[in-house]
Amino acid sequence: MADGQILAGYLAPHPPHLVYGENPPQNEPKSRGGWEQLRWAYERARATLDELKPDVLLVHSPHWITQQGHHFLGVKHLSGKSVDPIFPNLFRYSFELEVDIELAEACCAEARECGLTAKMMRNPNFRVDYGTITTLHMIRPQWDIPVVGISANNSPYYLKLDEGLEEMDRLGKATAEAIRKTGRRAVLLASNTLCHWHFHEEPEIPEDMSKEHPQDYDGYLWDMRIIDLLRRGKTDEAFELLPQFIQEAFAEVKSGAFTWMFSAMGYPNIPGELHGYGTVIGTGNAVMEWNLVKAGLAQAD
Amino acid sequence: MSVVSAFLVPGSPLPMVKRDNPGWGALADAMEAAGERLRASKPDAILLYSTQWLAVLDELWQTRERSTGIHVDENWHEYGDLPFDIRADRELAEACVAAVSSAVVRSKHVDYDAFPIDTGTIIAKHFLVGDADIPFVICANNLYHDCDTTERIGRVAAAEAELLGRRIAVVGVGGLSGSFFRHEIDIAEDRIAEPGEDEWNRRILDLIAAADVDGLKAVWPDYAKEAKVDMGFKHMAFVLGALDDHYASAEVLGYGPLYGTGGAVVHLTPNA
Repeated sequence: MADGQILAGYLAPHPPHLVYGENPPQNEPKSRGGWEQLRWAYERARATLDELKPDVLLVHSPHWITQQGHHFLGVKHLSGKSVDPIFPNLFRYSFELEVDIELAEACCAEARECGLTAKMMRNPNFRVDYGTITTLHMIRPQWDIPVVGISANNSPYYLKLDEGLEEMDRLGKATAEAIRKTGRRAVLLASNTLCHWHFHEEPEIPEDMSKEHPQDYDGYLWDMRIIDLLRRGKTDEAFELLPQFIQEAFAEVKSGAFTWMFSAMGYPNIPGELHGYGTVIGTGNAVMEWNLVKAGLAQAD
Repeated sequence: MSVVSAFLVPGSPLPMVKRDNPGWGALADAMEAAGERLRASKPDAILLYSTQWLAVLDELWQTRERSTGIHVDENWHEYGDLPFDIRADRELAEACVAAVSSAVVRSKHVDYDAFPIDTGTIIAKHFLVGDADIPFVICANNLYHDCDTTERIGRVAAAEAELLGRRIAVVGVGGLSGSFFRHEIDIAEDRIAEPGEDEWNRRILDLIAAADVDGLKAVWPDYAKEAKVDMGFKHMAFVLGALDDHYASAEVLGYGPLYGTGGAVVHLTPNA
């Protein structure tokens, strides 16, 4: 078996509004559209993902919060109806997904090897969080690629920020090692919004785009600064600024997915492809791709 | 006075799903004792605030006639399922939506199949109500509301119960000190993670038991910060609001660790 490799990483935010705006058959509420720039950004990301033909998608979601360690979905087939507790009016989604158990178990084992507390989630009645589902739907609505779902241990909030993100760094390295050992051709999905300042009241018509705008100008400027660095391949510089960005823009990347993904990829200083940026109830969201095959850091199939 | 009884209970699932662990079993016994007292107070409805039902837009109120299903805790999934069957007092809940919207913050009702009822609400219902048919009015913890706002919501909700002639029990679901063990422990050896937080919890419980609301409020900000209290102790603010800031007496029925955090079961008796 050849060594596995990471083909690409995507910054793939999870506002349920994007699913609501798209009107897929799995989602009960119906809309008149909305958030097109972000939905069309995901269309571009879907096309590049399709070209990569990965064996597995790994997603780290801030809406599966765990206190005792890093958890991994560990049931082969999971299905159910996911209702967003924050936006139940927008997201009531019937899902079915297949888990790559072998890789999930390998990730869990490697995380323990790295000194992290880690465990498998084996309960078949577990309700997969809406962050995981939204990101997976938006990047691959066919649901035909097995997944590894990873919880967001709340260490960046409970510990000092650098201590928490250091855990996510270790989790990323463990993930990369598990992918290598299991021979998988993997794509990583960091389910994170950038600036997370948001409205406190929902517009009467949620998809009324005349009401959509950045909640905070300074937060918007921060998003542009970080995206600009990432587009120019200044990954090191972006990560140097990350603590300040998190603090001043209330950035959701604090929850760890972004650090996990870049750690697994080895923090490559390669230009990220911005597929699109937009706000959702005022928060800043970018769909971005770091294609390691195009950069010569991974091999095409 | 519409409030016939009031309670603070922890929202951790551990006393329910691992009752055979002696420390957690003691908290389960305490919650069952609280349940006996709650049912003896013969409420028409239960007004419940859980720190674990998180909201960020508006204040949310559960209005679905009957919420049933199986919930699995995000963190403690290995200990099994949490089945639930909860009936809503829709008339009172809708009245709260309207009154809180006009007096405090914009509110919305929640009436959706498969809505993810939070662990804390399910645990409270299990121990306090059991199979008795008492309807609930359940409201969310908006992360951006402070204690003052939360207290006002509790006060307005209790006033609406009075207007409708309801006898209500008020329940605040949440923890005390918040430091927890991040790694696996021998659960038989569970303890409050930080001794200083244990001291804080005991001091606060003494103030509550003495019905010293002024004394409690004087140290509240320090307690919330230094003991990392669950959501700043907003569940207590909600209960105090519903009691209009005073009550006759209180008894601590149980106190103990829940994987390092503090949990207490407290029965507050309203003024006659």
